[in-house]
Amino acid sequence: MIDQLRQIVAELLSTVDGPDSVSGVVALRRSSQGVAPHLYLRGDDLSGLEIAPRYPLMTVVARLQQSFPDAHLGVVARGCDERAFVEMAKRNQVDPDRLYIVGIACTEEEAAECYCAAPAPSMAARLVGTPVAGSGPNPIVAEYDTMPLQERNEFWRGQFAKCFKCYGCRNICPECFCEECALEDPTWIEPGLLVPPFPVFHLIRAMHMASRCVACRQCELACPAHIPLTVLYDLMRRDMEMMVGYVPGADIAAPPPLSVTLTEAPLLVDAGHAH
Amino acid sequence: MAVDEIDLATEFEPKVVAFMCNWCTYAGADNAGVARIESPANILPIRVMCSGRISPEIVLRTFREGADGVLVMGCHLGDCHYSSGNHRTLKRVPLLRNLLGYAGINPQRLQLEWVSAAEGPRFARVTRAFVDKIRELGPLSQEVSA
Repeated sequence: MIDQLRQIVAELLSTVDGPDSVSGVVALRRSSQGVAPHLYLRGDDLSGLEIAPRYPLMTVVARLQQSFPDAHLGVVARGCDERAFVEMAKRNQVDPDRLYIVGIACTEEEAAECYCAAPAPSMAARLVGTPVAGSGPNPIVAEYDTMPLQERNEFWRGQFAKCFKCYGCRNICPECFCEECALEDPTWIEPGLLVPPFPVFHLIRAMHMASRCVACRQCELACPAHIPLTVLYDLMRRDMEMMVGYVPGADIAAPPPLSVTLTEAPLLVDAGHAH
Repeated sequence: MAVDEIDLATEFEPKVVAFMCNWCTYAGADNAGVARIESPANILPIRVMCSGRISPEIVLRTFREGADGVLVMGCHLGDCHYSSGNHRTLKRVPLLRNLLGYAGINPQRLQLEWVSAAEGPRFARVTRAFVDKIRELGPLSQEVSA
């Protein structure tokens, strides 16, 4: 699989003309610490090109596109990278017209690990690997409804108490690109408190993730305190789907539902009288 | 009796912050007052230009500052002074309500109500019902103490 990918990237880099020609390809490169994002240029040695562990490369693509407005880049992307790209494109963070996607289909084990419903990119110009069926949702999401308030409260209080505000969840997130972050605004988050008071910090982030979270699970992997953040975000994703039929990353033409009117993104449930 | 004069030691009186839009609900509250319709003194009104101004951050901070309940009040759909400000509110508030529930905070502590400028009696009714409900739920500090 990795050899096939290196072959495709090599072809892409040596193509000089036509729609398949790119200025460079963003992918991972083996380093002494594991892997790191790398911009491969024509003639570069591809023997260090890797696909694991996963890393949200679309953030790197966005920065490169912004710094080089004429560059036509290639990127090696998994299903989650592509979903991130879709949500970023809607919010003017990446330019789809200047991006060539070389897709990687995740394996069944990888899909199961991430509870990934769409483990292969659908817009990729080339695809490496065989697409597998998506995995079901995290069973906790369904169990959650029967959990009493008190139990939920104790659970999250314990989890959030482990947070020491490293901002790793936000920093790794491909959908966190605001120039001014609410989590750094002293109006909402008191500076100087190491453990953020229950539950404001994490609920602000969870609200901001509704309609954006593409379930790439990078926040959870990055969290040094092992807070199961995606349980909250998965619940928000479920609500968004029930409320307005929106699945982040699924449709590049669908407007971000929380930013538009009821005419543009109507409610599917009677939220106004639900309580 | 002002909200901060209530003696919490003897009896629980809920503190409720009500964000009211300038164009409809705030005038509706005035309407209730002018008509001498009694509404609960537990309500601390905060006038905002539009219910769509109320971000989740504002609601969460209001709870953190000691509110036992938060009401977000605005124009009925179709009546928004900014035409679709309350469309955002109608999506955002239920979502935040659900999220509060997921974190183990009773979602009934946050409520969205539409009250027009002419609905003084409705203003009194919904605020009274909300305060009664929060009184039943008890102080928020049980649920979010640091």
